[in-house]
Amino acid sequence: MVATEEDLAAPPAERPARTWPWLVLGVLIVLVLGSVARFLEDTIPAAAKGTSLEKFAAAVEYPIYAIVLGLIGNVIVYFTGLRERIADAVFTEFFIKTGLVLLGASINLSLIVKAAGPAILQAVLLISSVFLITWYLGGLLGLDEKLRALLSAAVSICGVSAAIAAAGAVRAKREQLAYAASLVIIFALPSIFLLPWLADLLGLSPAVAGAWIGGNIDTTAAVTAAGAIAGEQTLQIATIVKATQNALIGIVAVALTAYFAFKVEKDADAQRPGLRQLWDRFPKFVLGFIAASAIGTWYVGSVSAAEGKAHIAVINDLRTWFLILAFVSIGLQLRVSALREAGWRPVAVFGGATLANLAIGLGLASILFAGFTV
Amino acid sequence: MSDLTPPQTATDTNAVARVVRAALNEDWLATAVGLLLVALVLTGVIPTGLVP
Repeated sequence: MVATEEDLAAPPAERPARTWPWLVLGVLIVLVLGSVARFLEDTIPAAAKGTSLEKFAAAVEYPIYAIVLGLIGNVIVYFTGLRERIADAVFTEFFIKTGLVLLGASINLSLIVKAAGPAILQAVLLISSVFLITWYLGGLLGLDEKLRALLSAAVSICGVSAAIAAAGAVRAKREQLAYAASLVIIFALPSIFLLPWLADLLGLSPAVAGAWIGGNIDTTAAVTAAGAIAGEQTLQIATIVKATQNALIGIVAVALTAYFAFKVEKDADAQRPGLRQLWDRFPKFVLGFIAASAIGTWYVGSVSAAEGKAHIAVINDLRTWFLILAFVSIGLQLRVSALREAGWRPVAVFGGATLANLAIGLGLASILFAGFTV
Repeated sequence: MSDLTPPQTATDTNAVARVVRAALNEDWLATAVGLLLVALVLTGVIPTGLVP
């Protein structure tokens, strides 16, 4: 059974017993909400045709229905006492990673190769600068060193996944990981809507908008949601940029392990982290994303255009389903209680670092992806 | 910041280790499921029109 952030939020004795019926019920709730989101996405634009709401209805994409339904579901399961019991069924990370592997099949491998250079450069510059800024702000406001490490990894790399990797690396406390995970989701939710709107307002090209969204929004699921709202080309670049950042988690986790073992805890017996740890921390779904792209590129080139298009469309439908389930899960997972316990300082550090991330990310994306065509 | 730094316990370590392990397993599972679905569609096992 998959452990969740809720495992970190409450000691075992305080958690309700988890059994298969609750898991099945949780999965059913996610599936029903996802199906409703898919139904609304299909029917509302058609129903609004010819009315004053036609343009608005056409602009509302599936991530918005899915997140809003997830939030409504969150309130319902909270008040019915089901939230903690079904928490294990909210497989956000699994849904989003499977969706991204499926997305790989519709991206030509040459685009990944072409975007790899600027994406790697942007990731290295953005992660280094934002990590150091967050670390500095955390020190300025007197945060514990482990929480500083978690927040720095979360803001600079890829949200919850990076916070989890950093928590393992620095042996953080469960409360600290719960704060970091809650902050990531609470800051990511408005970004999903704000960044595509700002990108449009600033007149950014799909490539620059994608690089900005992919480099800025902390959690991969939210990057995909924002990219999907902004458009298919933006989504493709945002995903490549985010996958590049994800791939660098291992390096940061290994560096943090060494720093905390030798500098903070001064453990003379600690072993130096090696290549094995780097591989252990590497997000394997990135390999699946690249493999799916290679398979899709080969397949489309080896069958007729019509057949290739029809089969990729089915893969895209499956991808949309997994992403809808991920977005519903984001809404269902939102917890504000951890923030109340954390106090204002981690929120201020995260907020300040997010603003720095936005500004530096926009500058880097505008320079590195200027003239880039999808 | 004492409210953020309670003493670390074995439960803390176990809980964090469990979440780290789960994240690593999810990576492989997502890769396997994603690639399997791609293969099933491209080989025609999942036909066009089946996915709503």
